[in-house]
Amino acid sequence: MAYMRILKVFSTESPFRPLYAHAEKVTETVHKLRDLIDAYVGGDAERVSELSNVISDMEFEADKIKQTTRERLPSNVMLPVERQDFLEFLKPQDSIADCAQDVARIATFRPPERLPQDVEDGLRKMVEVIIETVDKYLQVVESFSQILEGSFRKRDVKMVLAMIPVVEKLEHEVDMIQLGLTQRAYELESDVGALGVTHLLQIIRMLGEVADSAARAGDRLRIMISRK
Amino acid sequence: MLSLTLILVAIVAFYMAWNIGANDLANSMGDVVGSGALRLKQVIILAASMELLGAIFFSSRVTKTVAKGIIPIEIIDPHIVTVGALAAMLAAGIWITIATFFRMPVSTSHSIVGAMLGFGIGAAIEGVIPWNVINVQALLRIFASWLLSPFAGLILSYLIFMLIRKFIFNMVESVDRVERVFRYLVIASSCYIAFAHGSNDVANAIAPLSAALGMMGDAVPVWILAYGGIGIALGLATWGYKVVETIGKRITDLTPTRGFSADIATATTVIACSWFGMPVSTTHTLVGAVIGVGLAGGLSAVDLSVIRDIVYSWIVTVPVTTVISIVLYLGLMGVGL
Repeated sequence: MAYMRILKVFSTESPFRPLYAHAEKVTETVHKLRDLIDAYVGGDAERVSELSNVISDMEFEADKIKQTTRERLPSNVMLPVERQDFLEFLKPQDSIADCAQDVARIATFRPPERLPQDVEDGLRKMVEVIIETVDKYLQVVESFSQILEGSFRKRDVKMVLAMIPVVEKLEHEVDMIQLGLTQRAYELESDVGALGVTHLLQIIRMLGEVADSAARAGDRLRIMISRK
Repeated sequence: MLSLTLILVAIVAFYMAWNIGANDLANSMGDVVGSGALRLKQVIILAASMELLGAIFFSSRVTKTVAKGIIPIEIIDPHIVTVGALAAMLAAGIWITIATFFRMPVSTSHSIVGAMLGFGIGAAIEGVIPWNVINVQALLRIFASWLLSPFAGLILSYLIFMLIRKFIFNMVESVDRVERVFRYLVIASSCYIAFAHGSNDVANAIAPLSAALGMMGDAVPVWILAYGGIGIALGLATWGYKVVETIGKRITDLTPTRGFSADIATATTVIACSWFGMPVSTTHTLVGAVIGVGLAGGLSAVDLSVIRDIVYSWIVTVPVTTVISIVLYLGLMGVGL
């Protein structure tokens, strides 16, 4: 009789576990961009569209995990952080995958053009740094899940707070590459035509958004835990 | 006829004790099983002995409160008291069964207090006792203890967990190692809570029995306390393990430091209540204590809707058990028992 009540308090499922699972799925999605850009610069339209579908499926899975996380936040559940902070943090984390999906979709809108070698290299480099950014971001989220164990002792919070600027530094690096590529894209009108340039610009811009979202999510995480 | 009624009371009392052991005990030992520090068999033996000790050495005052604190049984004919005790036991038992059927968690302590009151009201209706001897003040004190005990559990566990955080977590390199040490401390804290549980909840089963046996003096005979304690221990041994197992597996969030904090807070509160002779709900106190750990930042999620359930169980249990008890008492007297 009485034990049922106890069961109810204890068995409330933590929203932090799916939160980490979500971050993992998001990271996995971003990793797929490497293959996508490879196929794109290789001029393989079929492969691009194939990968776009794969990325789309992954993004959908990430969405489902996000739903689970939200479902575990009814108003009667008490959390060790502010509920609003938590939701504000989940949003940009989710948009990391959304932006990756947008990159893939945009890439399918037009058959890939033959690009100059330096632009190819630039795109590849950009994707690598984006992946690095998101990987670092995932580490931050992992450490965050662990500080719940020590219930937000100062040293753990400090450690996580110290990791976030690394994500931001990498994001800045992506920004710089993006800037260079954008400039370079405008010079390609004679190679790929005006529409080709527009298409390339859209892809570059959306790639930049992926890293941006990771940095934003890192920032929201900072707000969430520095209140403790 | 009298002896038959008395035997019935004794049997129902033992059944109640068995029930308490089967269900309630999981509260105290769930986290030991969860921590994996002991094997299930060891847990059961340990819990059963601590319950028995608590019942024998510390439950006399609560038993006295329930047996004669609400209704002055001294001024009632012993045969009527026996019938009343039977009615009260059955009323509490019926209500708990119904509530369990509807998956409505109710407290045995609250049920038996309501049921004893029902017996008093029934006796007053019949004119056996005057209305004004029903001890309203004692009832109000008991109600107050029901309100206060979860809060006391909450505040204590909040403080204990805060201290662990501030002074132990912050001193060490890895929280993991603290948890490993606390796995063993949880054994001690669980024994403490089992002892506390025995000291308070055994009264729910044996208070009516000791009333029926004509408890006139201040002390409850030790053998009655032991009788109830054995019933609880048996309940744990025969059935409780199932419940303990389920709970142990599901408490994953309640790490040893958290379990320890909640245990110590709950046990201390319940033992204090036993000392003051207040029959309180161990479960409600434990719920308060778990929420306290949550407030101290120790849990990743706490379902607060449980508070609503507790308040419902307060509001519903007493009137319902009182009414069932009145009806049963008058019915039993009516058939000439």
